[in-house]
Amino acid sequence: MSIATVFEIALAVVVLGLAIWTIAVPDTYSATVGFIAYGLLVALIWVRLDAVDVALTEAAIGGGLGGVVLLGAAARLRGTEAMTMERPSLIVRLSAAALSASIAAALAVAILLPPNPAPTLAPDVVSNAGATGMANPVTNVLMAFRAMDTMLEKVVLLLAIVGVWSLASDQAWGGRPGPRHQADPNGVLAFLARLLPPAGIVVGIYILWTGADHPGGAFQGGAVLASMWLLVIMAGLVDTPPVRSRWLRLVLVAGPGLFLVVGLGGLCFGSAFLAYPAAFAKPLILSIEAAMLLTIATTLGLLLAGAPERSAER
Amino acid sequence: MTEFLTTAVGLILAMLGLGLVSILRGPADADRMMAAQLIGTAGIAVLLLLGTVTGVPAAVDVALILALLATFASIAFVKKGLSRLETDGAGPGEDR
Repeated sequence: MSIATVFEIALAVVVLGLAIWTIAVPDTYSATVGFIAYGLLVALIWVRLDAVDVALTEAAIGGGLGGVVLLGAAARLRGTEAMTMERPSLIVRLSAAALSASIAAALAVAILLPPNPAPTLAPDVVSNAGATGMANPVTNVLMAFRAMDTMLEKVVLLLAIVGVWSLASDQAWGGRPGPRHQADPNGVLAFLARLLPPAGIVVGIYILWTGADHPGGAFQGGAVLASMWLLVIMAGLVDTPPVRSRWLRLVLVAGPGLFLVVGLGGLCFGSAFLAYPAAFAKPLILSIEAAMLLTIATTLGLLLAGAPERSAER
Repeated sequence: MTEFLTTAVGLILAMLGLGLVSILRGPADADRMMAAQLIGTAGIAVLLLLGTVTGVPAAVDVALILALLATFASIAFVKKGLSRLETDGAGPGEDR
């Protein structure tokens, strides 16, 4: 057994242990911190499995933005948790346990007993990689071979933001999300919020650009940009925009909108919906991705900022 | 050289395990979050070393994203933690 295998086994054991602890620990806050560490470690495992695209997403969403959403929820729930004495009845707990166990068993069967040979489209993806002029097979699948799925995903993001906004009270309708953050203008937080975003913006655009030929893409880049935006908001340097503002809504629909326009163009001038003309495939895909970068960054930022809480005037 | 780098990965993974022990022990939220930050830093180091040892240059990109977002998560923790201290009446925070 090589030394690398020993490391991998140790890492897997540690991740499993941390996952069980995260589920078992009673305190929500501790569970959230455990989940953030878990996301970081799972990203390591994805790199070892040569799935760097997944590792990038896991690092950005699982360890970063998702963790912050959960931290916010835990902070908000903490006051109410102490007051709830009510415990679910035995039947409810038993049926929840039975449901979870049956899902785990079904997953285990699917993983342990795969059909032989496993159905795969990977050879087709590799042999058709030249059609788009991009070398990253994941980007090829997401933006060309299964572009319809990706477009619908972006529409789902829009629906999510509509869902969050609909939680606003009547007075705050169309107003600014979240509290107005204030920080010492000479403090360390304001300093960091001036120092980090320039580097973060470059990294976000780089992740989008490198996604054509290497692991990366609009979603991961957008997550980095969103975190930089939220950092500046949390430092009190800028306020969240009122959700009624027109430019904000234009940015939110820019990505799916351009995707739809290109798709309809394929229907009019090409052979099918979302059929890119071969000569323009790469420029078209890159411009869709650039628009989606902005849309995803804004959407993720607004999802984390939450429902509108203040009217726009204040 | 590869053996040396692999040994370094092993050492950092051991440190990462110690950080996990600290997450499990706590006792305060801040201790846990500091341990999560330590794990993030150790994860960045492991990724950079692994990328060199196994010849996966894209691991550097994952390390970049981890570096940016781990910082962001710790700041979010401080902001949420401060607002909680204030609601507990533990004294005025420096910022809100």
